[in-house]
Amino acid sequence: MARMGMVFDLKACIGCNACVIACKQENSLPDGVFFTKTLSEEYGVFPMANRVFIPTICNHCEDAPCEKVCPTGATYTRDDGIVMVDDDKCIGCSSCSVACPYDQRTQMDADNFLKGLFGKGDITPFEEDGYGRYTPGTVTKCDFCSQRVDVGLDPACVVTCPTNARIFGDLDDEQSAPSKMIRERHGRPPLPEKNTKPKVFYVN
Amino acid sequence: MAIEDKVFSGDTLRSGYRFQRHWDNSMAYAFIFAELGAGIYFISLLMNSLTGMIVGLVLVSTGKPYFHLAHMGVPSRSWRAMLRPDRSWISRGLLGLGAMIGTGFLYVIGLAFGEQFGIAADSGLLGLLKVASATFALVVMCYQGFAMSHSTAIGIWNSAIIPMASLLYSLSLGVAGALVLLPAAQTGGLADTQLLLLLGLAVMHVMLLHGGWHGSPGARTSVELLLQTSYSKWFWGMVIATGIIVPALITWAAPGNALLAIISGLAMLSGFCTWRILIFKIGVYEPILSMNPFHSAH
Repeated sequence: MARMGMVFDLKACIGCNACVIACKQENSLPDGVFFTKTLSEEYGVFPMANRVFIPTICNHCEDAPCEKVCPTGATYTRDDGIVMVDDDKCIGCSSCSVACPYDQRTQMDADNFLKGLFGKGDITPFEEDGYGRYTPGTVTKCDFCSQRVDVGLDPACVVTCPTNARIFGDLDDEQSAPSKMIRERHGRPPLPEKNTKPKVFYVN
Repeated sequence: MAIEDKVFSGDTLRSGYRFQRHWDNSMAYAFIFAELGAGIYFISLLMNSLTGMIVGLVLVSTGKPYFHLAHMGVPSRSWRAMLRPDRSWISRGLLGLGAMIGTGFLYVIGLAFGEQFGIAADSGLLGLLKVASATFALVVMCYQGFAMSHSTAIGIWNSAIIPMASLLYSLSLGVAGALVLLPAAQTGGLADTQLLLLLGLAVMHVMLLHGGWHGSPGARTSVELLLQTSYSKWFWGMVIATGIIVPALITWAAPGNALLAIISGLAMLSGFCTWRILIFKIGVYEPILSMNPFHSAH
């Protein structure tokens, strides 16, 4: 069985946020809700100042703390390792949010759906169609665009990235692009000391 | 790295420490009502104070559910929260809460009106209800601490001290409630117990600060927030001075004085409420990744 995962190439990421926009479009995410973010970090002082971009996403942990604490079983792991949220079961208690060391959970407040993409309260037909998949009040997160993965496509953020900074594939397949990259460039997971066994890795 | 050098990214797109804001004040109030009510019920049960038992049960069965539902995103589905007691402390707690309220009210009704139906106060049935409701009250007193400490995400919460703090605060507030509600003649020994519990609370705070300071970067940051930022005046002024030192001095100097017992109880309650809110506010997530070669955490 496959074990889907992702690698972020920090040398390739230019912080253009195309992935963020693609994610919001693919998943019809309302105002203020992000499944992926590109964080920036500045250090050093002129003339040795530097800036790096750190893409973040749900790490689809093998030992997912969000799944362990969920009181309703709304959070579960698919056979291919993608950690999912069953919208119909979620009660919006946020226990998964405080359990996730990566702060990758977002509560869909009713207010999020009111502003619309243009911030004026006018909901476009595209939004009207997309928002229907969410229940206000539930807590959601990235699911690696499971609807795309199911038909053999890569997640929207991956296909949109202009610099190939995001590489998606089966981590159990030694010949897959992410497996090779992790092996050759010493990929490391975020916060490994939390013992969550993330399926997202960073290479530099 | 000093606290002023650390990056707190908040809602911005900068890498840094991020404050826990998922569990807000309404969740803190739910915790307060549960621990206060369960503590008062438990101690009143031991002291056979029917008034105290009723007060405890009313607090647990009103304030706790109200603020929990206020916090919940989809309150109409809240019943689902009891489906996973095998893995979630939220589920265990909810079941414990329901069982405590159910057995507690049955016991109180049996105690108050049982003789009219031929059920003596020392009957086996009421004895069973008493033991069961006390056990479930203990679950309610502790489970919120376990729910917080269960996960490694927030360093200062991920400590065995947190459930112990829930238990100690609950017991001490229960004793404070009994000292207020019961006549002085019936509270023999309770003042000494209260002094011991207050000492335990002081030691617990030292242990939490010590463990956090020498723990993960996130836990240390939380301790720094508590001691070196604007939160420190609330911690020292309300949690330690008002919530522990003042009640300890009153209990030591004037045990049995009804007015001072009320002042002492209110001081403890304000210290406890402040601590509950502070422990939510100082919870931070650590930076996911830092490429900064000068970053101390990674």
